[in-house]
Amino acid sequence: MKKGQEKLGWLFASPYLVYSLIFFVIPLFGALFLSFTNWNLISPQYENVGFLNFIKAVKSPGVKAAFFVTYKFMIIFVPMVLIGSLVISLIINSLPRFKSFFSVGYFLPYLASGVATSVVVKGILSYNSALNVWLRNTWHLNIDWLGSQILAPLIIAVMISWKFMGYYSLILTSGLESISGEVYEAAAIDGATGWIKFFKITLPLLYPAMFTVTILAVGLVFGIFTEPYVLTGGGPGFSTNTWQIEIYNQAFSKLNAGYGSAIAIIDSVVTFVTIIIVRKLLEIWGKSYGWE
Amino acid sequence: MKKIAKSILILLLAASLLAGCGTSTNQKNEASQTTKEKVVTIDFWAAPNPPQQTFWKQMAEEYAKVNPNIKVNVSPMPESPTSEAGIQAALAGGNAPTISENISRGFAAQLVDSKALVPLDTMDGWNDIIKTRNIGNTIQAWKFADGHQYVLPIYSNAMLFAWRIDILKQLGYNEPPKTYSQIIELGKKLKEKYPDKYLWANPDLIDSTWWKRWFDFFMLYDAASNANKFIEGNNFVADDKAGVATLKFLEDMAKNKLILTQKATDPFETGISVWTTIGPWTFNTWKDKYPELKLNETYVLALPPVPDGMSTDNVKTFADTKGLVIYAQSSPEKQKAAMEFIKWVYSNPENDMKWFEITNLPPARDDVNTNEQFKNYLKDHPELQLYAESIPNAIPPIDNAKFNDIQTLIGQKAVNPVVAGQVDAQKAWDDMKKAIQGVLK
Repeated sequence: MKKGQEKLGWLFASPYLVYSLIFFVIPLFGALFLSFTNWNLISPQYENVGFLNFIKAVKSPGVKAAFFVTYKFMIIFVPMVLIGSLVISLIINSLPRFKSFFSVGYFLPYLASGVATSVVVKGILSYNSALNVWLRNTWHLNIDWLGSQILAPLIIAVMISWKFMGYYSLILTSGLESISGEVYEAAAIDGATGWIKFFKITLPLLYPAMFTVTILAVGLVFGIFTEPYVLTGGGPGFSTNTWQIEIYNQAFSKLNAGYGSAIAIIDSVVTFVTIIIVRKLLEIWGKSYGWE
Repeated sequence: MKKIAKSILILLLAASLLAGCGTSTNQKNEASQTTKEKVVTIDFWAAPNPPQQTFWKQMAEEYAKVNPNIKVNVSPMPESPTSEAGIQAALAGGNAPTISENISRGFAAQLVDSKALVPLDTMDGWNDIIKTRNIGNTIQAWKFADGHQYVLPIYSNAMLFAWRIDILKQLGYNEPPKTYSQIIELGKKLKEKYPDKYLWANPDLIDSTWWKRWFDFFMLYDAASNANKFIEGNNFVADDKAGVATLKFLEDMAKNKLILTQKATDPFETGISVWTTIGPWTFNTWKDKYPELKLNETYVLALPPVPDGMSTDNVKTFADTKGLVIYAQSSPEKQKAAMEFIKWVYSNPENDMKWFEITNLPPARDDVNTNEQFKNYLKDHPELQLYAESIPNAIPPIDNAKFNDIQTLIGQKAVNPVVAGQVDAQKAWDDMKKAIQGVLK
């Protein structure tokens, strides 16, 4: 490559590099620095507290809850969103026409505000909503949807799945479209039926798209905030207390910037390790299909 | 390609340089204007709600007419993501305003701890404000642990309870019950006649968010303890007997299934529950949304209940109250100008009257109930009468810098588990006390 072209490359990459430096690298080091102090950002005096914030965080019930709640969400949300988006993409792919129209239709929830949808869901599940009045009058069922430690995380997982299914189905649809029709024709000649075609052809050939969607879904779980914040505030009894809610409460509500930063650092390490493990597992799954 | 890229780069550099020049030119102009006319400009952050902004903008405009040398720029307080975090970010970035309102006593304690506030009682004009505004008694409760005054309270809402008197009458009551056992008895009668109704519909009772304790625990505790302090300096000094009684009352209500913790839409207004905490800001909403709710016909207002055997006169309650502060980060010249502005605003009771009319929040004054101006207004707004009368009995929030942790623990260790039926009142109080003492160490 010529020197001039190299310079041009740097020039075009510079907006992204500057952006990353200002909004990612500098804050990351800032957070790292803060996590070793007891500073609240405004006090003229602060102390270096070493690993005290990290030790306090590891012992804290809120952080412990955030750790387990995230994996609980992962167990519920990831299969739900993967199956949902796969079904949507299979439906869209099988349509003879208006594929784009339906894709956009399923994509629309992704654009909806998390706050607005949470407020609507709160109304639907309130004690005196039409649904609950009907359940009480017809079936004598009085369900405290958001007050139950089992139902509250499930409802939040359903809401987030509804929001992201359309988006992920776009990725899967493009994967499905790249599978040649000839493969299915050949399998049909060999006597393969619907389910065999799905498990032996569609799923293995869809692996690259599934890989992307799974990693995105796992990463997303660590960023859940709006829905539990509006619907349950992290309760009942920490059952929906995510990493982001814990960081928000410590850093912005209690103004413990140092301690909040320590939790954020722990969260980023846990996220990184989890994604690496999930990636390795997906690669093993891919190898079984012959993907390297 | 190379030429195009170079041109874009040069254009961008030129644009940013010109933009930079533009800013500095403006700053120079502003600075020279300040020097020439000796105008001191102060920034005032008002609470992020339209009524309070209207009031302060009106005050700034009127002040500009009588004192052109001080310009007050009123803007809404940033809420990114909370007003407290907005102030924290501004202080951290060195961009704090000169004055802001909407400061609670707890948050002020945090700011005092960080040396971010000016002790107002050390400034010229403070005593004039206390005298002309008639706030001598009210301000006593605002003194901080170091003996200084950092906040000038603007309003004081003595939090009350509302009762659905129309439903109570159907149960044979002509006035609301005043003691714990009377309330439990009423609740049992209510459940007997209307199994689907609840005494108190309040999902906050199982939520540990710190500020929610202001509107359940502290209302009841302040009444039960006759205003015994909860925290003094860095010591837990709460009245154990009153605290356990408060939690036992919640426990008894929960055991008798009188509390609905499930989220419900306007449960009091729709008659699902007969009892609720209420602030004066509710009445404007009711006027539009529930015009059928009328004082002394469908609802009545009352002070918090007390444990059996306690006097039901002069019952104490929690004061939802906020005030103004001056930030230490601003220059002494600006701090002085800010004090001048505050002095002018509170030199005339008419301005407190305007505040009352615009916001519906009772001004924090000793004479709200006796001053003719306020009395006439209260005659036309009887729903605000008891709020005004109860100001002397209203106790401001705790002033410890760790208020957030303390109030979160009251929820997590006491109120939430008691209402959920997980622990009894005595154990919950002991657990909470131990946890709070740990935080205060």
